[in-house]
Amino acid sequence: MLGNLCKVAVIAASMTVASIGIARAADEELPADVIAAAKKEGKVAFYTSFFGAKAHLDIIKSFEAKYGIAVELLDVRASEMTERIRTEQSSKRYIADVVQNGAASLVRQQREGYLQPHGGIPNAKNLLAEHKETDFGVPTYILGYGILINKNAVKGDDVPKSWQDLKDPKWKGKIISDDPRALGGGNVMFTAFQDKLGDDYNKALAQQALVLSRDVGNDERRVARGEYPMRIPQLFSNWLALKKLPVMFIVPVEGLPYIRFDFGVLNGAPHPNAARVFINHYLSEQVQTAYAAAGLMPVVDGVLDKAGEAGAELKGIKLLGTTDVDHQNAMLDRAKQLYP
Amino acid sequence: MSEQTAGRLAVRRDEGTHMLDRLRALLRGRNLAVLALILLLAFLTVYPLSMLLYGSLHSTPPGTAGSFNLEGYRQIMTAHNAVVLLNTIGISFAKTIPSLVVAIFLAWIIARTDTPCRGVLEVMITLPFFVPPILTAMAWGMLGNLQVGLINQTWKAITGSETSPINVYSYGGVIWHMSQYTTTFLFLFLVDAFRAMDPALEEASRMCGASRWTTFRKITLFLLLPVLTSGVMLSFIRGIESFESPLFFGTPAGIKVISTEIYDLITQRAVPEYQSATALSFVILGLMLLLVVWQWTVLRGKSFQTVTGKGFNPGVVRLGAWRWATFAFCLLFFFVTTVLPVGQLAVGSFFQFFGFYGWDMLTLDHYRAVLGDSEFWRATRNTMMLGLVGATATMVLGSIVAYISIRTTWRGRRLIDAMAWLPWMMPGIVLAIGFLWGFAMLPAQIPIYGTVWALFLAYLALGTPVSVRVMSGAYAQLSFDLEECSRVHGATFFQTLTRILVALAWPAFAVGWVLAFFGIMRELSASIMLYTTGSEVLSVVLVKRWVNGLAEEVSVIGLMMMALVIVFRWVQLAVIKRRISTL
Repeated sequence: MLGNLCKVAVIAASMTVASIGIARAADEELPADVIAAAKKEGKVAFYTSFFGAKAHLDIIKSFEAKYGIAVELLDVRASEMTERIRTEQSSKRYIADVVQNGAASLVRQQREGYLQPHGGIPNAKNLLAEHKETDFGVPTYILGYGILINKNAVKGDDVPKSWQDLKDPKWKGKIISDDPRALGGGNVMFTAFQDKLGDDYNKALAQQALVLSRDVGNDERRVARGEYPMRIPQLFSNWLALKKLPVMFIVPVEGLPYIRFDFGVLNGAPHPNAARVFINHYLSEQVQTAYAAAGLMPVVDGVLDKAGEAGAELKGIKLLGTTDVDHQNAMLDRAKQLYP
Repeated sequence: MSEQTAGRLAVRRDEGTHMLDRLRALLRGRNLAVLALILLLAFLTVYPLSMLLYGSLHSTPPGTAGSFNLEGYRQIMTAHNAVVLLNTIGISFAKTIPSLVVAIFLAWIIARTDTPCRGVLEVMITLPFFVPPILTAMAWGMLGNLQVGLINQTWKAITGSETSPINVYSYGGVIWHMSQYTTTFLFLFLVDAFRAMDPALEEASRMCGASRWTTFRKITLFLLLPVLTSGVMLSFIRGIESFESPLFFGTPAGIKVISTEIYDLITQRAVPEYQSATALSFVILGLMLLLVVWQWTVLRGKSFQTVTGKGFNPGVVRLGAWRWATFAFCLLFFFVTTVLPVGQLAVGSFFQFFGFYGWDMLTLDHYRAVLGDSEFWRATRNTMMLGLVGATATMVLGSIVAYISIRTTWRGRRLIDAMAWLPWMMPGIVLAIGFLWGFAMLPAQIPIYGTVWALFLAYLALGTPVSVRVMSGAYAQLSFDLEECSRVHGATFFQTLTRILVALAWPAFAVGWVLAFFGIMRELSASIMLYTTGSEVLSVVLVKRWVNGLAEEVSVIGLMMMALVIVFRWVQLAVIKRRISTL
């Protein structure tokens, strides 16, 4: 057990969001002819599966103000966006320029042949070492998942410090969890546990009779109201909005399961130059700081210090693990076995 | 050329001319109209379903290389799915029957008794149908949860009991949540049918010695059979496909139904399993078609006409002191299904956090956030435009289909009726995929995909089954002698149509219009698949906020929708019905 923990700590430490004291290179624009071509194209169609996030709107406004290029935003849920893109690509109705999706899903879209090489993004030079771009995908931000506790129901030594603490019999039937049998935070957590803490850990957690739900917004409130003392996995960015309630976000020592959102440029994109300028803008200090302030972990160096309270809290948070494109269905199947 | 050859050619020419004449005759007038209608319905319903059928028989979705096989159907034939299907049927049955009993009682109270304030009560009773299920789920999650639910807390405070009697996260909770919609839906179907009933038939039954109960069973309910069977079937089928209630209240209790299984196959797999999902949907569609055939069998050869050339006043039963009991029953229904959940939403919308009440938490920020959001206003404009145009088009189409199906013996009427049914029998989430595939795969010269037309056509297809059922029920009650009398007196077909049929069926048309309008307003599955930048609709805006945990802003939007419902219902009942209805 101790060995496993040490291993976890080493892995987690290596994946820490490195942001302390590193000087970041200045933002760099694309060549003038690309920007001129982008302005001539006049707009960029942006599809994202980060559905309904208000942070998008301010960032889009900043892009439109800076470049005079209109952004057509279409945000839908991941499954709906994936099918729209598949349908548009296979029917050759090219509408979208840029797609933003979970890293694993984007790799799948690349394998299906829906993406084209982005052609180089100057600000990618500031990406953290563990989040480098590929020819087709450019990281944009990270969602981290921890534990949400009700401060009135979980006090003192009962407050979990490690994911292992959730195995304590006193929590049996008292933890509400996002459903690991479905795509989403629950399965990201399950996958990270399977990879980093082992199958035995997931088995032990299943023995705790987790109450499985898919009603994320309501489940957070149920913990705050005291219906359940604890919820897993809790999105850090969502917790920022709950701070006035009697709840607390816990970062276990092993780190946070996470999902990274990446950008890609779609085949047949009607506005390819505007797409590149748009992606480059997303890696700028201004945008990465805005995301950090909204509780999303940045993927570039040196912005957390400028991101206010949320940035300070994100500093030094370790990342535990994430989903893998080749094992997503296997993980869903394993979750169904453990939670029949 | 020999005489024989010339003769043969002449015969062929005659045959050819004859065939052309027949073709011309076929394409003339009525037949042409029927053909056009069949083509329109085929495009709206059969075409997206054919894309789904392709999906169920092909290893990959349309547009992607693969092969034809029956793997999808093989994969769904499992004991697990059989149990889930039985479970689903059981839940749908359990919510339909009590809802039907309550709906009949409420419709009878409103249409046929002297209960006080019936006009106001009618508006109040129908309100739950128009509240998006997400909102009531949110409210009932707070009212009926085991640990801190308001109802359980009140019960414990009054009785001193330690146990909580209500747990909304259970079979009972799923059925209860579904029932609120079903009861009001059935009520809307029934109330005008009760009004359009000639009490002479009931009086004759009483004169012949039948008791009040026997008369109600054998005359009143029998005459309502077309409307009743349509309403029950629509409601039962919707119960099979219902998604929100099992997802919110069933999943935490381990309750599985077909709709959540389909949802999982499409949205919760790394690569969506469209072949299995569409195959499962077609199995459901096949079972539902059996129900439609059953309805045809039940109604075949019977007459349900109650509106004849003779004038009549809808009979009002004098209840005496009991009218206050029926009044109280309606109020209780309104209180439980509307005041409790909507009150919870209204209160929650004024506090910083839904469910956390303190003076320091009072705020108008959520109203400011919603009212100051340009996307909300754009979505409101789009929804109103699509709702007004879409509901009107849906009702016009539904009226035509119902007329041909019920009032004519034209060839092809059964086909038209069956085609109009189809969208109702396919789970919304699957049908939405069918529309997406269908519109995107059209030739480039038909640019429907990515435009507001895609939403309009999807709404038209989705609303038609209800509009046809509403108008069919109304037409079935109208005696043929009314039309014949009009034609004998020299009225043209269209004069008869507008001045007899439309005038008499207007109340049903108005109810159907409201159902269609708010059906469009609530529709999510197709909307989220087909909307584009600039064509956002309210249901999408609502879900965006829900997914992001903004329950308070969801409440604000929901309350605004409620206000709109009240205005619409009021106008419909107070103005249109009083001035135009002759019933």
